[in-house]
This record gives sequence, C-alpha cells and structure tokens, in this order.
Amino acid sequence: MKHDQPQLIDALAAEYVLGTLRGAARRRFERWQSAEWHIASRVRTWEGRLMPLALGLPPIAPSPAVWARIEERIRAADVARTDAARRGAARPALRALAAVLVLCAIFAGGYVAWRMTESVRLQTVATIKGAQGSAAWSIELDARRERLRAVALAGVAARPGHSFELWALPPGKAAPVSLGLLPDAGQLERVLTPAQRAALASAAQVAVSLEPPGGSPTGAPTGPVLFVAALIRA
Amino acid sequence: MSDPDSANSTDQELARLIHACAARDRQALRHLYDLMAAQMLAGMLRILKRRALAEEALQDVFVSIWQRAAQFESGRGAARIWLLAIARHRAIDVLRSERAELYREADVEQIAHAGAEGLGDWSSAGRSAAALARCFEELSGEQRRGIELAFVNGYSHADVARVTGEPLGTIKSWIRRGLASLRQCLER
Repeated sequence: MKHDQPQLIDALAAEYVLGTLRGAARRRFERWQSAEWHIASRVRTWEGRLMPLALGLPPIAPSPAVWARIEERIRAADVARTDAARRGAARPALRALAAVLVLCAIFAGGYVAWRMTESVRLQTVATIKGAQGSAAWSIELDARRERLRAVALAGVAARPGHSFELWALPPGKAAPVSLGLLPDAGQLERVLTPAQRAALASAAQVAVSLEPPGGSPTGAPTGPVLFVAALIRA
Repeated sequence: MSDPDSANSTDQELARLIHACAARDRQALRHLYDLMAAQMLAGMLRILKRRALAEEALQDVFVSIWQRAAQFESGRGAARIWLLAIARHRAIDVLRSERAELYREADVEQIAHAGAEGLGDWSSAGRSAAALARCFEELSGEQRRGIELAFVNGYSHADVARVTGEPLGTIKSWIRRGLASLRQCLER
C-alpha cells in the first residue's frame, strides 16, 4: 500500500464501505485493512458516516428457522474448538512439555514469592487492545493504587512524530484526566498525583489518544481517541 | 430512535451485549439478535433480493459476531455501527459469490424495478443521521442518487449505470465526487 497517498486511501475506504469496490480490488483492500491500522481507521470513519443510510428501511423479522440454525452453528463451532484444545493437550510431546512447565512454574513461583517480599506487587488493571485486537499495553497499579506502570506489548504500532497518551475516563460528563504518556516499547513507571488517583478511583474506563510528541499541550485530549479499555476493579 | 439520547443508551446496551458474547454468553447473542436481526435483514434483503439468500447471510453474520466479539473495541457510540457494518460487508461479499449465482435469474429486470423503490426515512435516526442528511442536501441530485443506489441496493457502478441510463465513467465520477463532498461537509 502506498502510505504517502492518504487521499487515495480515504477514497478507497469510502468506496469499500459504499460497496462499489468489488472483486479483486475489494479483497486486496481487505488484506491491507487487516494489516494496517491507519487504513482500518479510515474504514471505521466511513462506516460511521454512511451507516445511517441503513437505518431507513422498515425492519423485516427473520423466519424462526434462522435463529435455530445460528444456535446449531455456534454450538458446533464451540464444540470443535474445545475438542481441538482437548486433543492438543493429550498429545505425548505436549504432555512432556507440560511436565517441564510445571517444574518451571514451581521454581518461578518460588522466585516470585521471594521478589514480592522485597518489591511492591503490581496488578494489571487494564489491557488495551490495538487495532488488530492484539494486546498493545498492559496497565498495572500497585496495591495502594499510587504507582502506575504501563508496559508496551506486541500489539503497539508506533506512530512516528506522535505520542500515545493515557487518560482516565470519569463517569458522566467529567473531563478525562491524563495519566501520562504510554511507551512505544519497554515500560514506563510513575507515581500518581492525588488528582490522578481520584480520577482512577471513579473511572470505569481508560482511553488512549494520539498526541503531539511529549503529549497533549492543553491537558485535554487533542488528537483522536484510538482505544478504550475497561478498568478491572480490584 | 429519533431521540439521540435514547439511540445512545441502546448503543451502550448493544456494547454490553457484545462484551457478554466475548465471554461466551449465548443469551447475550440472542438479545443482540432480538434487537438487531430485523434491521439487518431489511438491509441485506434489499441488497441480496432473495429471502433465502439473505437469511443464510444473516446466519453468517451472527456466527461471525459470536466469533469476533472479543475484537470489538467500545469506542463511543460504535456498537450499532460495528454490527451493521458486519452485516453490510457480508451482504456485499455474498452478492458476488458462487452462492448468489445459484439464486440468480432474471436479475436485470429485478434491478430495474428495485431502482424505483424508496429509501425510507433514515434522516431522523439520531444525530449522525441528521448530520449526514444535512450534507446530502449539498450534493447534486445525481451524486446523491448514485450514492444511495450503491449503498442501499448494493449496486455496483455498472448496476447504477444500467438503472440511470448514464455512461459508466459518468457514474464513477458522480460517486467519487459525491463521497469527497460528503467528507468535506462532515468534517466541517
């Protein structure tokens, strides 16, 4: 895909959502879309723009057989998945590997227990998924919710010339509160201010926005909100 | 649906149900089906023309929702669009598939008739619909008609050309310019 032609990408995304991109061009575009985050984002934007056109038609109730068939199909799909998992676990080579892993876990468990006595334990409170649905950041807090650590995972797609900023989203109409920048790689750890701790305590979700390098100059998100993730309650 | 706030609260409910599907809650899928299937079928039937074909594609859509629910990211107000988009893309894919060939007969006549059907009143369906309706007003009649025929009936450029009696190149440029104007207007 030609990255330097945003107008062409946008025009293709529009015709894809409209449905006039057909045949090989449509399939090619779908592959680009699943490989490149910024193309998928153009598609989401056009879906939001054009989908109201789909709301004017009077609803038509499906025949009762449709739901029965869906239930059958999802049951069959779920059974196939569990069977595959069970078969996989039963293989001898995997059984041997499992035994090794158990031994490793025992040692690792001992190591972690030893570490916990000397450092503060952090707990994952949110996992932020990237455009392709793979985990991009893990957000962790200590037991007193005073220290926050953001760990970059495989799903981070760095955007040169931009920073990712993390926000707590308080309920209702209250403004998002910045929790600082997210790392493109590795991890960042920081001590939270009382305002940030209060915002986190009331928030049900965190969001990630795209900002100029160094973060939002205004204290509120200025770029597009890319991802939203639920906060796991302790 | 005409009240933006009620449309919004339904969207939260839809998002909750999608998350429940990701946690393998089949009852949640049934609720989604009750809320969305009839709206989806209306759109898919309009594109696929044949009920048996549209209902089979609707099954695909709900199996797909069940399998892809974990990929849903609850950006604000996105649940209904996420669901409708899955249905729409599926209908377009089926339209050109071998499965559709089995049902294909006397298609040209059907297209000619279908072109005269109305679109229904979508412009009152919430805030984003109102914005789209406002921007549609700024398009030329031909651009508007080209985009509506393509979206609602799932017509290709060639289908739109056949229904309107205009050359293919003209249709392509109506639609391309119409979409560009819509983008400009909606970004204002």
